[in-house]
Amino acid sequence: MIIRMAKVEIVGPKQDLLNTLDLLHNRGIFQPDPQLLERVELAPADRLQALVLDEQDLRERSFFQNLHERVAALLALLPETANGVSPLQPLPVMELLAELVDQHLAKAREQAGLLTECRQKSEDLEHSLVFWRALEPLLAGLPHASTLELFGITIRDTHQLQALEALLQERTQGRCLISTATTTDGELVGLVATDRSVAASLRQALTDERVPELPLDADLADLSLPRRIAALHQRLEEQLSRCRQIEAALMELARRWRPVYRRAESWLEERLSLYRATATAYTTRLCFIIEGWMAEAGVAALQADLNQAFAGKVVLEQQAILEEDLDQVPVMLRNPGYFAPFEIFSRLLPLPKYSSYDPTPLIGLFFPIFFGMILGDVGYGMLLLLIGFFLAKHYPPQHLPSDIGKVLGAAALYTILFGFLYGELFGDLGEQWLGLHPLWFDRGKAILPMGVFAVSVGVMHVLLGITLGALAELRRHHPRKALLKLTMLVAVLLLVLALVGWFYPQSWLQTGPLLIGVGILMPVLIAAEGLLAPLELLKTMGNIISYVRIMAIGFSSVLLAIVANRLGGMTGDVMVGILVAGLLHAFNLLLGVFAPTVHSLRLHYVEFFSKFLDLGGRRFQPWQKPPRKRAT
Amino acid sequence: MDKVWIAFAAALAVGLPAIATAWAQSRIGAAGAGTLAEKPELTGAIIILVAIPETMVILGFVVAAMILLM
Repeated sequence: MIIRMAKVEIVGPKQDLLNTLDLLHNRGIFQPDPQLLERVELAPADRLQALVLDEQDLRERSFFQNLHERVAALLALLPETANGVSPLQPLPVMELLAELVDQHLAKAREQAGLLTECRQKSEDLEHSLVFWRALEPLLAGLPHASTLELFGITIRDTHQLQALEALLQERTQGRCLISTATTTDGELVGLVATDRSVAASLRQALTDERVPELPLDADLADLSLPRRIAALHQRLEEQLSRCRQIEAALMELARRWRPVYRRAESWLEERLSLYRATATAYTTRLCFIIEGWMAEAGVAALQADLNQAFAGKVVLEQQAILEEDLDQVPVMLRNPGYFAPFEIFSRLLPLPKYSSYDPTPLIGLFFPIFFGMILGDVGYGMLLLLIGFFLAKHYPPQHLPSDIGKVLGAAALYTILFGFLYGELFGDLGEQWLGLHPLWFDRGKAILPMGVFAVSVGVMHVLLGITLGALAELRRHHPRKALLKLTMLVAVLLLVLALVGWFYPQSWLQTGPLLIGVGILMPVLIAAEGLLAPLELLKTMGNIISYVRIMAIGFSSVLLAIVANRLGGMTGDVMVGILVAGLLHAFNLLLGVFAPTVHSLRLHYVEFFSKFLDLGGRRFQPWQKPPRKRAT
Repeated sequence: MDKVWIAFAAALAVGLPAIATAWAQSRIGAAGAGTLAEKPELTGAIIILVAIPETMVILGFVVAAMILLM
């Protein structure tokens, strides 16, 4: 439901503004609304003006902002530690921190730069080792390796290899040999051996074709391959050891200082958000004024807090919510236990306006009933109840699967109830095996009675929607619109009764007088709502007929279940029959969850809510401190 | 012969709206898939939108049932 809100005005001496804002931030229950102040009327001498920070405040804000940026930059460089946040109060040592942060930032930047460079070198060496190890067996097969020039290359794919072979053979007049191997990374590498006299031409060809040559330090070029690999290994070990040293130095810095800087960062964020909040305050010569919204239930407690903190100098006053305020009132929804999981459906809609209704309780009330009316099978209901129970118990509360489980559980209970009324357990299996008979009517045969029942449900639901619409107009102080809604309600009722009298003639139900009644109401509706009024009436009738889907989808569900049983029985083998029937029932159950959910929701969103729900509300977003990090 | 015409009329009553529903759902479904690529949070709304044209075939089914039963 929509929580009752209060429009409040907080007034106090100018010098208490920051402390007041701090208190409001700490409580996290107040949403400022500077637009409300535009309507405040004061004497010309006390003209309201937006708060302008004095020179000292501006200097302080600039200092904190600058410090926050440097602290954030330092924390980004320091590794995570298990130390959490220091309990130190940063304000008394802020000047010292401002000096220290520059030293630490410079040191951390230097270490981070060295670490990046060191890691890059290690990666390059590892890469080289992978390639040269793959090429080692190829080199062993080459005769007189010392008289040859060798190139290590990486090759994209076999197509490139073929093209390269042709090109190199042409450039070196056949005086080269390409051997390939696959690295442990799955890359294709090649070793090109050639006569030293054509090496330059070959290197040029590789460059022209953009074939990357394997990187190798110049001082290793003259070493034999085994010695080259050993040297690369040694260099890699050196680099890794250096990386570990730098990481240890950074970790030591983080271990000593990260908790302190995290606490400072958190404090600075709070302080800067306080400065930002001053933009919503207005001042006169001596006072500040803040107006905004909060839950009505919290007003008395906040009044007491302000009284206690400022010895009565800062006053909070609740004001009347005017008609022109209604569209501005922020909306906070809160639903009790049973209804809360149904918020997963109301969240699909935009937020309702404050003067409208929270659709959640209405969905919670009608959705399971409609679902049960459509699926209506004891067997399917039992299965859904088990699934719902599992989801609700297995997942933590307030999480989506848990909410889905609870909604499914409620819908399953109505499915079982209607299953007994329709006499269905996995279609007609209950009747065949257990002698289950319909307590109400057999959906598989009584199509028309079920259709009439579905439309009757539609009449009640839509008329309830129109009634809620009239009440909403009254809450918005629009009695004329409320009266029109009620007129529409009477017209729809008369038209429905006329149709009932037409199809099922009764002596007490005369179609003629009822239609005359509609004819009398029509000019009133046209005068009030224009030429669209008859269309609105027709649309409402269409909305009511749309509820016939409850019968239609339920009918298809029961027929599918019966077909599953028949097909299972036709197989002539118990096991195969159970398998066939089981598969078809599983498919029907899947459809039986999806179709009733979608169509029940559609009946709510399109047919029901369109009669009364006014969407487009503003979400209540109180001032709140950034979440406090864990203290050691 | 009358039975044939009644059955044919019932088939038309449900068949034509079924084609119309299929066409409408194909258009809404394609647009919905495009929307979901950019805004996955609209999944629920898109499912409802896809279900809206089903009213046609449901009403067609009702008319067909009335033709056959009344």
